[in-house]
Amino acid sequence: MRDLKHFLFFEELVCSSNNDLVRKAKEQGRVCAAFVCENTPEPLFNLKGCFGVRLTAPNTGSTDIANYYMTSLLCETSRALLERAIEGGYNFADCIIAPDGCTMMNRCIENMELARAVESGSDAFFYEHMEIPMKTDENGVALLVRQCRNHILTPLNRTYGIDISDEAMREAVRSHNEVCDLIRQIGEFRKADKPAITGYEFSVIVLATYVCPKDLLVEPLRETLEELKTREPDEKGYRARLLVVGAEMDDPEFIRLIEECGAYVCADRYCFGSFPGREPIELTEGEDVLTQICRHYTYQCQCPRQMNMDKVYARKAYVDALAKEYGADGILYNQIKFCDPWAYERVTGAATLREEYGYPVLSVDRPYNIHSSAGQMRTRVQAFVESIEVKKLREAR
Amino acid sequence: MKYFGGCDVGSTYTKAVILDEDGKLVSSTTIRSKIRSQESAELAMKEVLEAAGLHSAEDLTYLIGTGYGRNKVPFADENISEISCHAMGVHVTDPAVKAVIDIGGQDVKGIAVDTDGTVKNFALNDKCAAGTGRFYEAMARSFEMSLPEFSKLSLKAKNVIPITAQCTVFAESEVISLVGEGKPEEEIAAGIQMAVAKRCFVMAKKAGAVDHVALTGGCAKNEGLKAAIEKVLKLKVVELKTDPQLMGALGAAEYARQKGMAKER
Repeated sequence: MRDLKHFLFFEELVCSSNNDLVRKAKEQGRVCAAFVCENTPEPLFNLKGCFGVRLTAPNTGSTDIANYYMTSLLCETSRALLERAIEGGYNFADCIIAPDGCTMMNRCIENMELARAVESGSDAFFYEHMEIPMKTDENGVALLVRQCRNHILTPLNRTYGIDISDEAMREAVRSHNEVCDLIRQIGEFRKADKPAITGYEFSVIVLATYVCPKDLLVEPLRETLEELKTREPDEKGYRARLLVVGAEMDDPEFIRLIEECGAYVCADRYCFGSFPGREPIELTEGEDVLTQICRHYTYQCQCPRQMNMDKVYARKAYVDALAKEYGADGILYNQIKFCDPWAYERVTGAATLREEYGYPVLSVDRPYNIHSSAGQMRTRVQAFVESIEVKKLREAR
Repeated sequence: MKYFGGCDVGSTYTKAVILDEDGKLVSSTTIRSKIRSQESAELAMKEVLEAAGLHSAEDLTYLIGTGYGRNKVPFADENISEISCHAMGVHVTDPAVKAVIDIGGQDVKGIAVDTDGTVKNFALNDKCAAGTGRFYEAMARSFEMSLPEFSKLSLKAKNVIPITAQCTVFAESEVISLVGEGKPEEEIAAGIQMAVAKRCFVMAKKAGAVDHVALTGGCAKNEGLKAAIEKVLKLKVVELKTDPQLMGALGAAEYARQKGMAKER
């Protein structure tokens, strides 16, 4: 296919946390709120004068210093982020908001704080640790509302004078939804038999929306959507369509590796993905905006942190519905090495989707940087694709 | 007569097989892999083609690359993962076998084989070199023995000295200490074989092995390991009538035969 006009731009944005758009927003005098978990309500960082960046550590090499602080038995993402902070990779941030989505990320941020790893140019720089619900109910919503007020809104207002009124939040949600709508429309192209966008391209574009000020991405996204409407898809088909499900995943190279094995990644359900992270937030009149945002995040959450049994089953049904909607032939469950919540979810999810829903499922754990184990991963994925292809041929016969 | 090739470029050894259109094995070879996969494939193919009385890879109707360097096989029509190829190789050798443990140079795989030789399920252990060909090379080095000598050493043991370290490097240190302490070498070797056999347990389970299993890859020739698997896992290790190290290349050649014949039709 012909290259997308803005694709190189998107690729460059995801190659560094302190990317061109982050620097541009900082030059505009805006406050950068860095965060580390999909359970943090992102629109609260879109308030006027502020922008959010979800922290990543692209091209991570060794994590020797982080291993010293955290041991080599904790999740590789948390160690990679700490290492990058120590390397000076997050000095652009004006604050770091750390929910207790998992204990390992908690340890990561605590160590950043203790080691004074982030040397922000701002004297007002602060860390906030917040609690997030483990159950999907109205108590959980109330908890999240309190936590967001105490650990995001009030500190942003008190420290940097950010407007946290209902009107300001409504505008922030509108801006968030604009990006979500564009991503969802771009993602729709993946449903075609011969898609006009690759899974790798889509993963890069979605990742950019997590690591850049959203408003600065709207125009390139809009132009990309228009371009896709007339883009000629490749004639060469794919051997199998896969839905990728799993933990934190900010390495599009993993998606590229899967597609190099002959598969097409037709849908995504992972942290940093479009489902559920880019589902627009519906606001109504008559209830305060913060509660509505928090309700959206509590109920749409697909993180295994939520442990009520109805949610545990609903997560599998969600994957099944996505697979059907996007025409997936198989499901790839992945987990970052040593991730606790996904260690359980991957095993139970893979077994349930295989045995109860009847999908071919490949279940893998992977390093934070896929290049450290690309050969073995390629063998696994290729064998999985081959087995799906054989199954399809058999069914066709 | 039409001929079909399979070339398995592994991390340690490169294997090549040529089949005729009836599926009969015409020639095969196994060479030590070079640092560059393409060079390994070229050398192995040169040998196997000469042995078959063919001039070049162009005399083959279809050629499939497999193994770690599968996408570096020159002239290959396509590449197929070694998991699929080992399953097919074992299937054409003994269709009754439904569970395979492939112990290669740098990983261990458990493969469940379907009735037509395709893969039903699989699992890989690639966290480190423990329990792989590289591990055995390190152990044989510690005993100052060749691999074939080392593979038979444990068969004489009356007792087993368990090896506690899982890591190849630490296990080598542990073995050197035990030898230094004057412990019987055959009992240390039996401990090493038992440790590897235990690592194969999960792979055997994932492969759905019930009462028997086939071993493939270079380590399948290790007699001490076979004995340990039969003892520890209580599984009968099936004797394959073709060299087990050739199974990947054989499976690739069989796939080449099926695809080549279909293409000709």
